[in-house]
Amino acid sequence: MKLKASIEHKPNIPTASMADIAFLLIIFFMLTITFEVDKTQVTLPKTTLRNEIPKKAAYVSIDPDGRIRQSDGNDQSALVSGPEDVLSMAATAISSDPSKTFVVKADGGVPWEKVDQVLDALKRAKVRDLRLLSDQRTVDDY
Amino acid sequence: MRIERDRPDDEIPTSSMADIAFLLIVFFMVTTTFTATRGLDFALPEDDDNPPVIEKEESVLIEIFPGGALVVDQNPMELSEIIEYLKPKLERNPKKPVIIRPDVATEYKHMVQVYDELRQGEEHGLQEPINISVPTQREIQSFWY
Repeated sequence: MKLKASIEHKPNIPTASMADIAFLLIIFFMLTITFEVDKTQVTLPKTTLRNEIPKKAAYVSIDPDGRIRQSDGNDQSALVSGPEDVLSMAATAISSDPSKTFVVKADGGVPWEKVDQVLDALKRAKVRDLRLLSDQRTVDDY
Repeated sequence: MRIERDRPDDEIPTSSMADIAFLLIVFFMVTTTFTATRGLDFALPEDDDNPPVIEKEESVLIEIFPGGALVVDQNPMELSEIIEYLKPKLERNPKKPVIIRPDVATEYKHMVQVYDELRQGEEHGLQEPINISVPTQREIQSFWY
């Protein structure tokens, strides 16, 4: 009697589902990614209270040298000449969306005068929702 | 006799699919920059043409000088002492306005520190949130003098 040769198993790792997992991760990253509209390097002031800032918020940043950049939340921020430009941008944004969130991203070391001018411009543009971007204050900072 | 034929493989080669996908993941992970997207709510009062008249004597004035020195109602004070100073005043009148007035040369971080401290009034045992106002230079010039 002839014995049936045992079926030979090719050793292999099942990798078919690997791509599914990977693409799932890609989709997750693509949905959660938020493009930074302002890349100004600043040392933010530290606060204990911090609330989440909504997406698509408009940014006004003040770098350590006092230069002002602004973004309406869609495009990359661009350098502006002064608070008057902030006022006109904010007024335009507020006229289309009165509850638009504005974020002031100022370096902790800039003189109050600079921030004051920007806040005044936003106030005159009738901005209602304003946030001051900050870092978390920890026990080490006391 | 049966002729053995080389049967072409009928599978789609998917082994490199995972490589491509992981390459994309790595790209996304490297380019994602984690940014601070949290901050302090800074409620601006309405820019009315007729703002409520606040008498200087009724309110508490916190002045901040360059370097972070604080003067509250003409008394030099530490940041941690402010809430204790305000407590008896705010118990009598919870709506009492507290005005933060930084000097023009004061660093922004000192103002944020004071504002952050005052916003935490309820954690320090106050009944209501403090009525904080930060007038801008324009308002100070047009309404105070």
